[in-house]
Amino acid sequence: MRWHLPALVLLTVFLAVLSLHVGLRLHAPATVWAALTAPDGGADALIISGLRLPRMVAAGVVGAALGVSGLLMQAVLRNPLAEPGLLGVNAGASFAVVFAFAVLGVSGFLALSLFALAGAGAAMAAIFALVLGARGALTPVSLVLAGVTLAAFLASLTQVLIVTDEGTMESLLFWLAGGFADRDGAVLWAVAPLLVAGVALAALSAGALDAMATGDATARALGVDTGRLRFLVLALASTLAGLSVVIAGPVGFVGLVAPHIARLMAGVAHARLLPRTALIGASIALAADIAARRVVVPQEAPVTATLALIGAPVLVSLVRSRRLRAAA
Amino acid sequence: MTLAGSGARFGLPLAALGLLLILATAIGSSWIGPDRVVAAFLGRGSETDTIIVWTLRLPRVALAVLAGAALALAGLLLQTVVRNPIASPSVLGVVDGAAVGVVLFLWIYSNEANALTVSIHWLPLAATLGAGAFALSVALLAKGDISQPARLILYGIAMAALAKALVTVLVILGPVYRASQALIWLAGSVHAAHWDDAAILATVLAAALLALIALRPALEQMALDDASAAATGLAITPAKATALGLSVVLTAAAVSFAGGIAFVGLIAPNAARALVGAGFGARAVLTPILGAAMVLGADILARVVAYPLELPTGTITALVGAPYFLFLLFRQIRHG
Repeated sequence: MRWHLPALVLLTVFLAVLSLHVGLRLHAPATVWAALTAPDGGADALIISGLRLPRMVAAGVVGAALGVSGLLMQAVLRNPLAEPGLLGVNAGASFAVVFAFAVLGVSGFLALSLFALAGAGAAMAAIFALVLGARGALTPVSLVLAGVTLAAFLASLTQVLIVTDEGTMESLLFWLAGGFADRDGAVLWAVAPLLVAGVALAALSAGALDAMATGDATARALGVDTGRLRFLVLALASTLAGLSVVIAGPVGFVGLVAPHIARLMAGVAHARLLPRTALIGASIALAADIAARRVVVPQEAPVTATLALIGAPVLVSLVRSRRLRAAA
Repeated sequence: MTLAGSGARFGLPLAALGLLLILATAIGSSWIGPDRVVAAFLGRGSETDTIIVWTLRLPRVALAVLAGAALALAGLLLQTVVRNPIASPSVLGVVDGAAVGVVLFLWIYSNEANALTVSIHWLPLAATLGAGAFALSVALLAKGDISQPARLILYGIAMAALAKALVTVLVILGPVYRASQALIWLAGSVHAAHWDDAAILATVLAAALLALIALRPALEQMALDDASAAATGLAITPAKATALGLSVVLTAAAVSFAGGIAFVGLIAPNAARALVGAGFGARAVLTPILGAAMVLGADILARVVAYPLELPTGTITALVGAPYFLFLLFRQIRHG
């Protein structure tokens, strides 16, 4: 459908603008505009430009990055259930950061980001090694089981580290819970452009991913170096996930839901899927973040909980879908 | 199997459990030597030792043993019914379902003064109801897929994610006095164990064992494929349903007292198979012993590894269980 893309752009912009207005207190558009263009240092201006704007950017950028990361994994692993949360990639990044902080005493933001990337990459590599080791006998469902188990293992290690080190617990517990609110501003402004660049970079692979979807043999006949493509695409996918974890902590289910909705809208061509997935991922994260502010007023729900309430039913419907049934 | 061989196969795990029992009782804020522990067990210890051992330490030890046995037995039942060694009850949404039941219970039955308006003894029932509701929804989703445990487990994971989100929202929605009670429970509370808790869990376990004896012929048939099992003339479907229900009740009871201790129900039945083979009767005896030893051992480790801090027991079992699960999954894939 031709109108889908403009409609998604409009939706994303609308949710982004809405997220500047909505919170515990609702602000009029004029107040928001004034706070952004001519900040007077008042409470409203502080809330809007100091709290809500970074939060909006974090949700939008991380949502888009996780969506695209999920799409890339799904494409090269040929598994509609693949996503950074379920495959343990987010857990790998989180564990690496906690390990670097608690055991190695690393605290610089750049170094921690590198650890997050290494952790995400290592988890991705473990999953890919499993796929290779099973020589095609691995069903999509079994791969996700392995990923979830890997995530549980890494989460237990993380828990051991934070329980035994009170300082780490205090510094990292909030970040580990995952979410877009009150994130480190300096980290956000440094990493967000990288994520945008990564999402844009993914677009270069669209043609090769389409060829890959037809099967390895056909892809090779079409001149695609499948081994190299898999490596590069999975590296990009785990980089997007790792950097997302740096900003927002582990956030699950966006990477599963966004590509799925994009496929319902636009079929299988990746040139169409990639921008749609990015916009849908951003919209889901923004909407979940807005919902998290309002569902349990005056408290705030963790956005990971609102995302799970959307994502879990999608996971069930995907497992039940006929396409996956045929693959299993 | 020779008599001596089978003696060793049952005797060694039993002896290990006994040693762990003494060790678990000996360890605490003050070390009580094994000789004094045994003396206190037999009622011949000093007065202080007897009080510490019987009122402070043994309730926790008993709870760990009973919870381990219950979880292991639940795993054996589930694996027998779905005929697959990678199934385990803790991933069927049961643990988080039980948490939903507990949080709802605390929310409904606590008053402004942070006290429960009904007896705490109803808590396990609430946990079992929550666990049952979530297990039932997983079973309904997996209807027709019962022989595909991978699918079953994935439904369990989805429902567990849903339950976790519900718990988070309920904890935030409820006023703080309710939330704090819920959080204490959710963190797992083996260290605050009482004999009452152990007694309830022991009753559930004993009832389950009686039911197991009644179900034994049917469960032995289930080791065959469905067609041959039906040909033996035993009604398999009601027996299957009963065994599944029993598995849920055992898990819920264990979880409601000991918190989420994962992977015991996975490992214990497989370890028992490795020791005594696939026969159901021998495994039914050995599995609870191994489960009890596992949880007790994990609890000891959880207390000493980071002393004086205490790790959640479930993290220890997960660190052992997760790689073991991957091994089983991979082996199954390799062998088609």
